[in-house]
Amino acid sequence: MKYKDYYAILGLERGASDEAIKKAYRRLARKYHPDVSKEAGAEEKFKEVAEAYQTLKDADKRSAYDQLGAHSPGQEFQPPPDWQQHWQPSGDDSFSTEGLDLSELFERMRAGRGRGSARMSMPGQDYEIAVPITIAQAYEGTEIDLDLNMPEYDAQGQLRRVPHAFKARIPRGASDGQRLRVPGKGGKGFNGGRNGDLYLNISLRPHALYRASGHDLYLDLPLAPWEAVLGTSVEVPTPGGLVRLTVPRNTQAGRHLRLPRRGLPIPKGGQGDLYAVVLIVVPSVAGEQEAALYRQLAEVSTFDPRAHFSEEGSYAS
Amino acid sequence: MRVELTEMLWFEEHAVSLSELAELTGLSPGMLEELVASGAIEPIDPASPDPLFGAAALEAARHAHRLSEDFELDTQALPLVLALLERIEGLEQQLRALRAKLPGRIR
Repeated sequence: MKYKDYYAILGLERGASDEAIKKAYRRLARKYHPDVSKEAGAEEKFKEVAEAYQTLKDADKRSAYDQLGAHSPGQEFQPPPDWQQHWQPSGDDSFSTEGLDLSELFERMRAGRGRGSARMSMPGQDYEIAVPITIAQAYEGTEIDLDLNMPEYDAQGQLRRVPHAFKARIPRGASDGQRLRVPGKGGKGFNGGRNGDLYLNISLRPHALYRASGHDLYLDLPLAPWEAVLGTSVEVPTPGGLVRLTVPRNTQAGRHLRLPRRGLPIPKGGQGDLYAVVLIVVPSVAGEQEAALYRQLAEVSTFDPRAHFSEEGSYAS
Repeated sequence: MRVELTEMLWFEEHAVSLSELAELTGLSPGMLEELVASGAIEPIDPASPDPLFGAAALEAARHAHRLSEDFELDTQALPLVLALLERIEGLEQQLRALRAKLPGRIR
């Protein structure tokens, strides 16, 4: 099995005091706990830290770990023969270190020490995964392939990671932050214990056109100045296909034009709305003739877009 | 390897009793009772003598279990941490909603 340096993971020397181990764990847990940290890779880092702490905080496990000797992280090694004799759970003939990783080795020690309880039923482990889906998938519903390595009890009541592959149907209308629960699809329970549940946390991947807020979608609608003034009718993309939208005369920038029931479906029935957010855009280069027409417009127009600047009371006092 | 198609259930569709909630989350019934008393976990109908808990409670209780294990938090600190995390999540949701409404692609 591969060696992991639990002391180095916690930033400690071998022989650190219990107090120092606890302190180091607390500091790192605060930094990397997935509920607290937004750092990339924080969850993985926290798992390492938690695994190291689980072993080092327990006096028995710690001395068992120390007796494995010091190796470099990642190095292949086998526990010395007398190690197994000493730490093997009494009466457990099935105990073998083969194919285990370091955390499973210590997990077994724990399971072994609780003799008598080994035949008790144990609930399977819950499992939680993040599932990013596209807006199109949220609109239509989708099937995703899950390939999970779930902790599970084997026939001896020992935790093992077992691969599970299955397809999961994500119903229409799953939205950002939505949680789905799949009862009984987590780790298998042991000896009549209930199976764990699988939790899926749905998130929406960013889309080039739409931004989702709940089941409503927002889409930028760029208009030329004359379209905004004169009104127009434009084709707007929606997840369900193109829809014709009437832009009324004198439409201001920033206005939200609502297309009812063109957003994402709502699971219990109904559908969110799609809002077209008006932007007024100008050509980056205006041609000669265009510029001449704008100059003419400037002369004719009495429109003062900043009239409110000179209104009474709007000066800073 | 067996490949099967599994139907997902909406998280919101579950209502469980306190003892089921304890079993689902690994929290002890005693700790759960304390969390309910402090308001950190709310039943669907607080007036009911046999309260049932919905998805939000399940989520909060799972959260509470994780935090109490990983940070060794007691029932004094837990409700505070849960309340702050809930507030952050609410604010992040508001932020996402506001961002969706802002024109995003002015070029």
